[in-house]
Amino acid sequence: MRAVTTVIESAPLSVRELARAVGAEDQWVLRLVEVEILHVDTPNEPPERWHFRSADLQRALAARRLERDFGANLDTAALILDLQSELRRLRALMGAHGLA
Amino acid sequence: MDFKDYYSALGVARDAGDDDIRKAYRKLARKYHPDVSKEADADAKMREINEARDVLQDKEKRAAYDQLADHVARGGSPDGGFRQPPPGWDQGYEFHRGPSQGPADHADFSEFFSSIFGNRGGMGGGAQRGPQHRERGEDHHAAIEISLEDALHGAERQLSLRAQEIDEQGRPRLVDRTLDVRIPAGVRPAQYIRLAGQGLPGHGGEAAGDLYLEVRIAPHRLYRIEGNDLYMTLPVTPTEAALGAHVTVPTPAGAQVDVTIPKGARSGMKLRLKERGLPGKTPGHLYLLLEIALPPADTDAARAAYEQLAKAKPSFNPRQHLGA
Repeated sequence: MRAVTTVIESAPLSVRELARAVGAEDQWVLRLVEVEILHVDTPNEPPERWHFRSADLQRALAARRLERDFGANLDTAALILDLQSELRRLRALMGAHGLA
Repeated sequence: MDFKDYYSALGVARDAGDDDIRKAYRKLARKYHPDVSKEADADAKMREINEARDVLQDKEKRAAYDQLADHVARGGSPDGGFRQPPPGWDQGYEFHRGPSQGPADHADFSEFFSSIFGNRGGMGGGAQRGPQHRERGEDHHAAIEISLEDALHGAERQLSLRAQEIDEQGRPRLVDRTLDVRIPAGVRPAQYIRLAGQGLPGHGGEAAGDLYLEVRIAPHRLYRIEGNDLYMTLPVTPTEAALGAHVTVPTPAGAQVDVTIPKGARSGMKLRLKERGLPGKTPGHLYLLLEIALPPADTDAARAAYEQLAKAKPSFNPRQHLGA
């Protein structure tokens, strides 16, 4: 079977599509924006015009797992995700300097 | 297929309460989390404890699993071999997906899990819904590993997936299927490819969900990927490093480019080839990490050349900064 293939970057997801992709309600996605787990390019536009890319889907999935696996609230999840990003950035930096 | 002991996977007793299971899961999830774990089999362990938690924290699944475990304990083969659950083993149990469960949960679970819960509504609960129920199918997630060359140039790949289908009686069942996936040129690691309508089937005539494939790029023999940038170790001779040189290097796009090694180059020095990394709106760079390769002193002439060099630079002390 040949499937229609799209990379999210070329057709970003709406709030509804992102919510469906992580098995959540639209409101949950809006909360992710509120606690800054997700950042939107146009925060002053109504949510119907917001768009999300692969990195947003990855963070939303990770937040969902933290919430479920550890009972983390979204503010805590936001902090953990930021620390994870920093950890990966530093590891990449070490790798670039041959220290990994 | 081996029978899986979910209690020992979490290290809890058969009569463990929900709280004990939650605590045991969290402790192990911290130990095996891929970002912090140093264990070699952390990924496999994480899958195992996720699967155990999924079953033991769900009352219906746990009760059905316990019943099956009892059945196997009574009549199972001594080596623990397990083929299929016996007919009627789950009578009276219904498996529902809890509201807090994410969509990607069951994708990585074992064949054992699928043989028990996969064809009984465990991945969507469709069998328990009435005929009037209308709902779009859930989105599904999987990962696809491709080569760097495929990511750069695009490719067609076949992907084998175990997916859910609705049978003639309206019950979900697992089937193996093969998808032809077009990998668009320029795709990057951690990007998602979306396959419309290839997720879980819809109910009551509603559309199927979508399938999201997370792109992973297999390790490459020459290049290491960091974000949009690529890194390659470039060996140079001591003469090239000391005096400077022009050398030819391969780029991931297939072209060969001439690179200038500056005079006095050191090991670890980084040269940047602008926008020769991963393509895209903001193209990455290709970084060359210089590594000085010493010619072996395996002939009289080579030994004499090294001795000559030592005589030419008698004051050279690479350990001066150590005070030695």
